Amino acid sequence: MKKYILISWIIVLFTASCSDDFLHTQPETSIPEQLAFSTPEKILAQTNNLYKQLQNQSFYGGRFIVFNEQRADQFGQNDGNAATGSAVWNQNVASTNDFVNNVWSAGYTAINACNILISKLETTTVISSDLANNYIAEAKFIRALCYFSLVQTYAKPYNQDKNALGLPLRLTPVTTSGNNDLARSSVEMVYTQILKDLDEAETALPVSYATPLLNASRAKKSTAIALKTRVLLVQNNFEKVITESKKIVSETMPYQYTEAGVTQKLEPSFSTIFGGNYTGSEAVFSIIFANSTTETPSAQYSLAYNYLKQPIIFLATSGIVSDPALTLSTDARSGLIGTSAANQKVLKKFSITTAPFRDYVPVIRYSEILLNYAEAAANMNDLPLATSLLKAVRNRSNPNFVFADNEIATKDALIVNIQKERDIEFLGEGLRLMDLQRKVQTLPAKQGAIGTAPLVLPTSSNYIWPIPSGEISVNKLIEPNS
Amino acid sequence: MIQKYIYHFLATLVANKRSALLLLLLTSLSAVAQTNTVTGQVLDNNNEAIVASTIVITSTNETVITDVNGQFLITTTAPFPIIIKVTMMGYVTQNVVIKSNRSIRVVLQDTYNQLEEVLISSGYSSQKKSEFSGSVATVSAVQLQNRPTTSFDQLLGGQATGVDVLQSTSVVNNTPVIRIRGLNTITSGLFPLIVIDGVAVFTGSLGGFVGNNPLSSINPNDIESIDVLKDASAAAIYGSRAANGVMVVTTKKGKKGKTKFNYNTWFSRSTPYNLPKLLNAQDYTMIKNEALVNAGKPEGFFLSRNPDGSIVDTNWYDVAYEPGFSNNHNFNISGANDTTQYYFSVDYSNQNSYIKNNTFQNYITRLNISHQLNSFIRVGVNTSYSSAKNVGPNTGAVAGNTLSSSTYNTEYITNEPLGRMTYVLPPNVPVYNADGSYSIQNGISVGYGANIPAVIGTINAYNLAMVQDLDLTTSISRSLLGNVYGELDITKKIMLRTSYGLNTINLENKLYLNPTHGGGAAYNGVATNIASDLSRTDWTNTITYNDTFADDHHVTLLGGYERIKTTVNSWGASQSNITDTYYNHYQGSYANISPIANELSENALLSYFTNLNYNFKNKYFLTLNYRIDGLSALSEGNKYGNFGGGAISWNIMEESFLKDSKIKSVVDNLKIRTSYGIVGNSEIGSYPSIGTYNSSTYGGAPALGYSQTANPNLKWETSSKLDLGLNFTMLNDRISVEFDYFNNKIKDLILKAPQALSAGIPNNYINENVGGMYNRGFEIGINALAINANNFSWNVNLNLSTLKNKVTSLVSDVFVPSVFGVQNMTRVGYSIGSVFAVPTKGVNPENGQMVFINSNGREVQYNHIGSPKWTYLDGSAAPAIDNYTDGVIQGPSLPKIFGGLNNTFKYKNFVLGVNLTFAQGNKLYNGTRATNSDQRYFNNGEFIKNRWTHPGQVTDIQKLYYGDNVSAGFSFSSTSKVEDGSYLKFKNVSLGYNVPLGLEFLKNTFSSVYVYVQGSNLYTFTKYRGSDPEVSINGNSINSGKDQNVPPNAQVFALGLNVGF
Repeated sequence: MKKYILISWIIVLFTASCSDDFLHTQPETSIPEQLAFSTPEKILAQTNNLYKQLQNQSFYGGRFIVFNEQRADQFGQNDGNAATGSAVWNQNVASTNDFVNNVWSAGYTAINACNILISKLETTTVISSDLANNYIAEAKFIRALCYFSLVQTYAKPYNQDKNALGLPLRLTPVTTSGNNDLARSSVEMVYTQILKDLDEAETALPVSYATPLLNASRAKKSTAIALKTRVLLVQNNFEKVITESKKIVSETMPYQYTEAGVTQKLEPSFSTIFGGNYTGSEAVFSIIFANSTTETPSAQYSLAYNYLKQPIIFLATSGIVSDPALTLSTDARSGLIGTSAANQKVLKKFSITTAPFRDYVPVIRYSEILLNYAEAAANMNDLPLATSLLKAVRNRSNPNFVFADNEIATKDALIVNIQKERDIEFLGEGLRLMDLQRKVQTLPAKQGAIGTAPLVLPTSSNYIWPIPSGEISVNKLIEPNS
Repeated sequence: MIQKYIYHFLATLVANKRSALLLLLLTSLSAVAQTNTVTGQVLDNNNEAIVASTIVITSTNETVITDVNGQFLITTTAPFPIIIKVTMMGYVTQNVVIKSNRSIRVVLQDTYNQLEEVLISSGYSSQKKSEFSGSVATVSAVQLQNRPTTSFDQLLGGQATGVDVLQSTSVVNNTPVIRIRGLNTITSGLFPLIVIDGVAVFTGSLGGFVGNNPLSSINPNDIESIDVLKDASAAAIYGSRAANGVMVVTTKKGKKGKTKFNYNTWFSRSTPYNLPKLLNAQDYTMIKNEALVNAGKPEGFFLSRNPDGSIVDTNWYDVAYEPGFSNNHNFNISGANDTTQYYFSVDYSNQNSYIKNNTFQNYITRLNISHQLNSFIRVGVNTSYSSAKNVGPNTGAVAGNTLSSSTYNTEYITNEPLGRMTYVLPPNVPVYNADGSYSIQNGISVGYGANIPAVIGTINAYNLAMVQDLDLTTSISRSLLGNVYGELDITKKIMLRTSYGLNTINLENKLYLNPTHGGGAAYNGVATNIASDLSRTDWTNTITYNDTFADDHHVTLLGGYERIKTTVNSWGASQSNITDTYYNHYQGSYANISPIANELSENALLSYFTNLNYNFKNKYFLTLNYRIDGLSALSEGNKYGNFGGGAISWNIMEESFLKDSKIKSVVDNLKIRTSYGIVGNSEIGSYPSIGTYNSSTYGGAPALGYSQTANPNLKWETSSKLDLGLNFTMLNDRISVEFDYFNNKIKDLILKAPQALSAGIPNNYINENVGGMYNRGFEIGINALAINANNFSWNVNLNLSTLKNKVTSLVSDVFVPSVFGVQNMTRVGYSIGSVFAVPTKGVNPENGQMVFINSNGREVQYNHIGSPKWTYLDGSAAPAIDNYTDGVIQGPSLPKIFGGLNNTFKYKNFVLGVNLTFAQGNKLYNGTRATNSDQRYFNNGEFIKNRWTHPGQVTDIQKLYYGDNVSAGFSFSSTSKVEDGSYLKFKNVSLGYNVPLGLEFLKNTFSSVYVYVQGSNLYTFTKYRGSDPEVSINGNSINSGKDQNVPPNAQVFALGLNVGF
């Protein structure tokens, strides 16, 4: 009898255990896709995430800027390790190089995040349509910045061949498989899309946000315009550079832009742009970091570690660092040039040399708009305006400096000096390579502690980066750079 | 014959003591039918009595069995010489000729590959091997004992057909590579399922830089047998978890007889085997200055002097390595009576690698009890608890934390790892300053000595002594493993069994990096602690029906239901910016803290299964398995999968037409078998099919980003496995042979399918069912008692397996892009993870430049200081060599043939074991040689002296240019570093002695005493130029066959003692 009681009990236990939702497990540390746009807070977090994508340490959070400087001519390489980008500096990267893959991937991951957000917010009822349009415009700004960054890295310069192969233009969200194959649009088509996004962003973006931090870190109307001046300058579209610049540069000195809640102008002290609160009037668009190791780049990816702490790269003596503006104390900018233990000149703009490496990364500064404007004006033969804008930048750092007549007398001389001013002003901020390539100039040979990097002619295959192996191996319609 | 019957009749009468008259009669008759008494004792190799062995007098078929002391006595009328046959399960049957009535001593040789009577456990049930139709390799306790190790899986190399084990590093308690019949998936889990007493345990590597193999929680001495289920019929009962094969581990139970006590201990010494020869200080400065001058720079390397005036010539190997001493103590008690079996053991291990500060301590205890409650209920418990502590520096040899999945090691190339540092650090700089402090230049550079920084650039190599002393990884695990079970006989033929199993691991991983020098310098010190709870519960209920119809039809039917739940709960933080250098633990005070390694996941498997075994007259056998698995990780509608398999076998020798055949006198047993089935792979993570977003912050504000792309169509990955097999034994079981052909086809691979980077998909992959591949091969296992003379025996075991792997479909190539090149490529038409490299033609004798062959077949040479750097041989500019587009597959990274040859020689009380392992046909990428060829400040191998120095010189080493890390295969893979990985290795040689217990005090104290000396990794025959062809820096991974910057394997000598009471 005991035996049969036992057996019945086991059968009961067995059947009871079969009817439950044992197999229905849910992740508890990530949010399921179907809930990801379900509340206003989540949608705002999705928008913040677009900037987070730019903050990727392989991208604007650090390394992309370093790569641009390593490829240009102002820095020598100290460290021969491939992990520190020695092959980038040597102009010798292969499609399998993970940096080549990472930058492309970071850009397109941000682009897809923008595409998803745009598509979701076009139909959302969770937030007001005004707010949705604001967020969509931010997404378009970021998409434009990403395409602009990638097209400059992986395609021939616009001024060299605008009909050359550009990038695969992805403008719709990818959330499933089967979307691998897409051919490259022409360089011109990519630029057209960039400007279209920026025009639409300008229309829908707010003039300002609630705090200086948000004004520096999120796209506002003037941010979109500022980026347009850069894009148009790269296209040598000087007329439109002037049109756009006029929207955010006052006609008279001091050059500035003031609208409700926001003022953009040169800061009086050059050093406080980098060592101050980072969100002063000059910060048009910056990548910001909270004081936390969760956001900041790791050592080898951070600007301060590359330029100053180790330093992985140092200022090449043949470069702009020998200019009096950076050697004489009369120019404030010389204060951000230092000397390393190995007696090399190093850049001190990014000075937090112990992790977390939380120096904000300036992406667009007001002084760039003035110099973009100046160069366009000079090209359009408005030499007085160009000179005035150039002086505004120079005299901010060296109030007593007077340009020699022959430096500003002719259009050509003025353009040369505007470029020199850009090299001094934006040293280490990742613009030098763009300036060489938009003028289709040879990347000069350079000396480093690890040897000599050869010059690169605009016709050489390594003038631009190869399309990464991760794209070539999967996207059947992609054509590699030859 | 008549005499015999009379004798029996009379003997019966005597026994009944009917009358004295008959006694008289007997006495008189015995003169006619002479009786002889045969007495003796049956012992095993260890001089232990064999209880219940069978003694048969062949002429009369009179039979007795041995008693608890192994002794027997037969009285027989058979005349001398009398032939007796001594048989015992697990031992080779022995015929003994007895010429007189002196007591004899029979020593039976154990066999671990005997076809008869060995029980095969599928984990749910067990079956006699003779009735088993599937393909299984059994590893017995004998093969595991007396071999110093940290975990049993490390001992399996060369022990069983189809099982390929690589002991790829000398870091103590590191997880070896285990492959059963090749690699059976690409991005899902690659470890075989390991079931210990019915519980599927955690596998992988848990301790960060120090490995920490969870299988070390099982004491090898506690293992009775390991059954490796290789084909679908054997493994199909595990359904979705069986793709990589299944290892069923059964722990020891107490045996009837008097209580046994055993004490086992060993002491060992380990040293590095075959370190690459590097340049000394003088040669180093000469070579490096030559490279500088060739590159148009001044000399920058100079010898420095010690305070006593001698030249600084630092051997960084001596800084990193010193002989490591280890010891192990194990004590167990076992026994049984009619109702209760018990086995209890304790084990303590204190092991030290030859890598300084790399230690492993482990305490294990086990208790197995089974008890017969009444005539129909049995209950039992098998449980073990272990507490282990792994400590060590970052060697670069451990691919990182993984639970079961494929890994890719990115650590080997960073600045911190010890292996790399020993190779790259300059020999002309000192370790310590004159005052005894560490010689350092700054946070990241070793002291430069007399070298000139401005000329030679940054030496981004740390002072190894300092980081090895101060920067340590610790992994502590506390593991509980076991099950409780009950069995109830409903009727004599129907048995119900319920079992609840548990495997929990509490893990505490710590990493400390000092603030002054090394990887922690940029962070002013980093301390990271991560705590994890891994837990798996497994509740299994089975019902078994066992019956025989009409005498000849034997049926066993099993039905079962199983619920398995696995949870991972992990949390941690990293603190940086130490407030005071006094602290070296996480619990000290730091300025910054950030969360790290938080994980909370669970997955569940719900299964119904059935197994039928049918046997007709022990001639025809049929096995059918069917299992339905529901897995929480798959999407709604795709959760359940059907798996199953079947096998038939034919025991030819039982056929009547062979009954009188002459073959019978040679072949004892011959079985043909075939099986086919479909199994799956459930090691695909907890939530692979759903789309998710992860939260983070941007500028302190919440951010929510796309983290995984959904695939609602994700379904089971399935492997179909075909096996054709043949077993036979010959010459009274002296030779047994097992032969198999297998063909595993895998389809609908759950692949982290690479997506075009431009799609912007999170992590650039989607879990998809794409791709297929196959593994085919032959396996042969031969076990022979080659010589069995009176005092001498030689047992030889050969196991040999072949493997051909081919990927048959994929959407795109699978590989890992890297600034250090792509060494492994998984591509349709080739073996998975094949070795991949750009073809090198060698050094151009004209100018000393390395010549590569690009994808157009053109020769391109590299001049590190040239402009352009890449030229055709005519000097015109050529496009740069690209690792992906110009790379070519060089061959498989998996061996085509592998196995072991195990010999046991016994002479009187001596036992000599010689175990060899071998592999043939695989390629290796010798990245260490690439490191040792690098023309930065890196030290170089002695071979670098053959560099090109003058036009016309033919050599394989290019002209040296300072800074060149391209020519020699460092920054992209080059065929100059692709080598043949074939080898034959003296894996293990041991010599043991059974101490005779003749002396009275020994006899009364001990039942057996065995002492042995043992050496492992003694010598390797190979053409491979690296330290050891048994290497895989990526661990258990499809990216195998890569060797770079890791410390070589250890050579270990041990002294051991086994004592039985």
